[in-house]
Amino acid sequence: MSRHHRRKQRFKLRSFYVWHRYMGVGAAAFMLVIAVTGVLLNHTEGLQLDSRHVQSNWILDWYGIQAPRDMNAFLAGDRHVTLMGEHLYLNRREVSGNYRQLMGAVLKNDMFVVAVSDNILLLTLRGERIDRLRPGDGIPAGILQIGTDADGAIVVRTSLDHYQPDADFLHWARRGNDLTGVHWATPSPLDPKLRSALQHHFRGEVLPVERVILDLHSGRFFGRLGPWVFDAAAALLILLSLSGTWIWLKRRR
Amino acid sequence: MLKRLVVLLLLASVYTGAPARGTYQEPDTFLAETFLNNTPEPAVIWLTGKRKDTVKQLLGHRYASLRIRYWRRAQRSAWILEETGKDQPITVGLVVNAGRLEKIKVLVFRESRGEEVRHPFFTDQFKDARLDDRGNLDRTIDGISGATLSVRAMKKLARLALYLDAEVRKQDVSSSP
Repeated sequence: MSRHHRRKQRFKLRSFYVWHRYMGVGAAAFMLVIAVTGVLLNHTEGLQLDSRHVQSNWILDWYGIQAPRDMNAFLAGDRHVTLMGEHLYLNRREVSGNYRQLMGAVLKNDMFVVAVSDNILLLTLRGERIDRLRPGDGIPAGILQIGTDADGAIVVRTSLDHYQPDADFLHWARRGNDLTGVHWATPSPLDPKLRSALQHHFRGEVLPVERVILDLHSGRFFGRLGPWVFDAAAALLILLSLSGTWIWLKRRR
Repeated sequence: MLKRLVVLLLLASVYTGAPARGTYQEPDTFLAETFLNNTPEPAVIWLTGKRKDTVKQLLGHRYASLRIRYWRRAQRSAWILEETGKDQPITVGLVVNAGRLEKIKVLVFRESRGEEVRHPFFTDQFKDARLDDRGNLDRTIDGISGATLSVRAMKKLARLALYLDAEVRKQDVSSSP
């Protein structure tokens, strides 16, 4: 082999090596993201990524997550019972479970009685759930309103009749149409401070951390073009491994 | 042959795609079946004080409610309890007879996976189980791969029902003359 040919070969190898380095630097950032997120996803349960939620405002804004503007709230005693989406709150405290259709809430002695999701929910003053009574537990079906009579006893209105529970809420009896002195729960507006706090809490309960890490791993986090960019990075990594092997083989010779 | 294979593959895909969620038995039907259409009046047990702590220890967290309803006649008590598998609560009916588990049945399953726990091949393992001195079931319950969290929830509820039944019977002893 002539000296000219050998020099040409060396120059070719060097230029290939420069390209290899550029490709390496270009792929490094993607590689880091893919590797770190991959490790995290492998330990989703241990790190509780599926049960923890993103609190960062800019990430929630990036995903377009908004708290519902319409909130159904009732004033019971001096506290607000509010339904936002499927979340039920006693003032700022969230009540465990998913709910829909809040029909009303009243305070009876040291207990809140809430008509929601065709259920009667009994809550302590601190918002702990005492019981959730479902239609199968003997409560009247299709509750439209809840209130208290002059003696402080609970009354509910359905499309058919009015009913009253016993002291333990285990049995319900027809009350009849004598509604003298019954005070029905009516929706009440929330003060702006509480509304804003609930909206902030709601947004912080929607997006699991796992979803964000999955989206980072696949590139979807970066928008519609993200997966294509990550595909290109993967192709770059494949080229990198081939060029690295080729350079190593050439050098050995 | 090819036709059969295609049909088999189609059937398999239909089977695996079947939704796990569903109401398998309404709670009141479960109670009527348990007490031969003569369901006793419900009673309540409160999870307060030491009982609340013990329940927390059994479940690994607080029970969703502070009071639990039960139905009882003589030595038999029936319980409708809920425990979350992965994300959603599983509603389970349990019958305890003289301190031993007579029946455990999934009534409502809301999770997307793990509904195998409703089948008798799994629930039959609990038959006659009772609590040992340390509050554990007196036997090993074999798990189901892919339904680990639902299995765990079922075991917790079995222990909870047995504990609560013992508490109810203890109340009887303390209130007897």
